[in-house]
Amino acid sequence: MNIGQSFKMAFKSIFTNKVRSILTMLGIIIGVAAVIIMVSIVEGSNKQIRDYYESMGTNKINVYAYKWSGEDVTDELYEYCLSLDELVLGVTPNAYYWGGSIRYKTVSTDKMEYGGPQVYMGSDQFSLCNNFEIEIGRDISYLDVKNYNQVIVLGARLKEFLFPYRDPIGEVVTIGEYPFTVIGVYEAKDPNSTWSMDNMAVVPYTMVRLLNKTNRIEEFVVKARSKKDTTEAITRLTGFLSGLIDENSGYFSVNSQNQWMEQDEKATRIMSLVLGGIAGISLLVGGIGIMNIMLVTVKERTREIGIRKAIGGSRKSIIIQFLIESSVICAIGGILGVTVGYLGTLVAGKLIMDIVLTPSVTMTIGAVAFSVVLGIGFGMYPAIKASGLQPVEALRAE
Amino acid sequence: MKLIELDNIFKIYNEDMENEVRALNGVSLIIDKGEFVAIIGPSGSGKSTLMNIIGCLDLPTYGDYFLNGQLVSDMDDGELSKIRNREVGFIFQSFNLIPALSAYENVELPLIYQGVRGDKREEMVFEALEKLGIEDRAYHRPTEMSGGQQQRVAIARAIVTRAPIILADEPTGALDSKTGETVLEILHGLHREGTTIILITHDSRIASTAERIIRISDGVIVQDCPREEAEL
Ligand SMILES: Nc1ncnc2c1ncn2[C@@H]1O[C@H](COP(=O)(O)OP(=O)(O)OP(=O)(O)O)[C@@H](O)[C@H]1O
Ligand SMILES: [Mg+2]
Repeated sequence: MNIGQSFKMAFKSIFTNKVRSILTMLGIIIGVAAVIIMVSIVEGSNKQIRDYYESMGTNKINVYAYKWSGEDVTDELYEYCLSLDELVLGVTPNAYYWGGSIRYKTVSTDKMEYGGPQVYMGSDQFSLCNNFEIEIGRDISYLDVKNYNQVIVLGARLKEFLFPYRDPIGEVVTIGEYPFTVIGVYEAKDPNSTWSMDNMAVVPYTMVRLLNKTNRIEEFVVKARSKKDTTEAITRLTGFLSGLIDENSGYFSVNSQNQWMEQDEKATRIMSLVLGGIAGISLLVGGIGIMNIMLVTVKERTREIGIRKAIGGSRKSIIIQFLIESSVICAIGGILGVTVGYLGTLVAGKLIMDIVLTPSVTMTIGAVAFSVVLGIGFGMYPAIKASGLQPVEALRAE
Repeated sequence: MKLIELDNIFKIYNEDMENEVRALNGVSLIIDKGEFVAIIGPSGSGKSTLMNIIGCLDLPTYGDYFLNGQLVSDMDDGELSKIRNREVGFIFQSFNLIPALSAYENVELPLIYQGVRGDKREEMVFEALEKLGIEDRAYHRPTEMSGGQQQRVAIARAIVTRAPIILADEPTGALDSKTGETVLEILHGLHREGTTIILITHDSRIASTAERIIRISDGVIVQDCPREEAEL
């Protein structure tokens, strides 16, 4: 029999038993909505984690080393890092100035609401290693480093504070008692939350002698070319450093953000499995509900099935009719579930993460498709049962 | 020409048990194309059982049934449903219309199973409804119609496929005598057009309008003769 007619019949019987159809769908609606909300939250937080690490720079390795004796390993380490050329995009020393405030005329960063800015001392590859982009002016250059130029690049937050609505290029700020000329400003990385990543400035690492009164740099940041190269670079650096420093003579560590990111992602993956499992069970319960109702429907419509058989309905056509009916119920339930899931995701995104979170299109289509599959799966037994009825006996039913 | 041939048909329920019932106990019968046969007999004698077997709604326990020379017990579900769809039109005492569907949709159903295209279907449905004079009730549901009207819808459904055999199991049983007369007239009309009619009835007046009368008792044929020779 014609499939269009089966659909017509399915809609007819769904709409003649509205309340029952809705109750039947409820399980599917809740199940689909639950899946969508939970997966969206997990995906959303995964994305947040990824974005967070990406803004700090992926494939980034932090190398930290010093000797108890105070003996300097800076040059050897820097050279070794540079020698990892085929694995590495960039290397920068990563020293900090602990002195505190930066001053521009009468404005001092002592008064900033989120504490003093972080002043880094890095190479011309600092921005590459730490994912900063120049917004105005220029970045620190190799010559700045080599020639001990007293120049500074400001983070977006620091620029906002010191030079609100003004072009800072060429202005002179003071760190401690030393003047530095502003040559550039980085793009904001983190404008909506705390600005903490943008409350910073960078000067050439050769300033370490001037500002920290030492030549020693204990920390380097290495930017590897890929995830794979990160692992390889970590292995080599660890090997190199263990040859240079042992437990008794000092301390070193080689870490990458990737490790933390993977750990965080793993945690959310486990959460998604647990939540997905719960949602899956509720879908299963919904499916069993469908089967239950379809069995009742078959029983109630035994006589109708008998009539259909008496006038020429084959087993196949009866099976198709009931399968279409159960999958239409499930599809409608799935669509309603997606609607509820969308709203729920929006609300949950707002409440939990304070972002506009929407389910992915793939998942939405997948959820509806899955409900149809569920309808066919759980409708199969009732449909086969209906089709197997003997015409005479079915006709005798009341 | 042999249309229907029953050869020693048995229908036995609960065989070899204490509550065994032999609804048909060795029935042999030949019905030719174009006959008008009335089947009579007391209640419980096996009339409906016989008719259900003829219409392929039921299968015999023993014995061979040939329809158009083909052995029915050899057929699979697809072939059986095709016969029910194309070869026979069933008219039941209790109408057996689908309550959720309108008169039109009920009559349309056999054509849908047959795979007739939409516009052709509409034409055939209205032709059948008009033949029975109930086209004005086309979009009413069975519950909104009188018994006589419902039976006419049921007849329209039986004839809409232009099946060569009409099986009517007490088609007038639930109707008053005047409506019953109309239904009988319709059956005679179909017979004149060449349809083979097999009619079960309790009413000897109705039976006496048939060409041939078969009397059943306790699952066996006790009389099978032309109307003129029959004792009613
Ligand atoms: N499923 C069944 N199980 C057991 N016995 C049955 C079954 N169906 C029918 N019978 C029996 O078979 C016999 C014949 O039934 P059938 O319906 O053919 O009678 P009938 O001649 O049509 O009677 P009526 O005139 O009352 O309609 C009856 O005795 C009935 O009880
Ligand atoms: Mg009967």
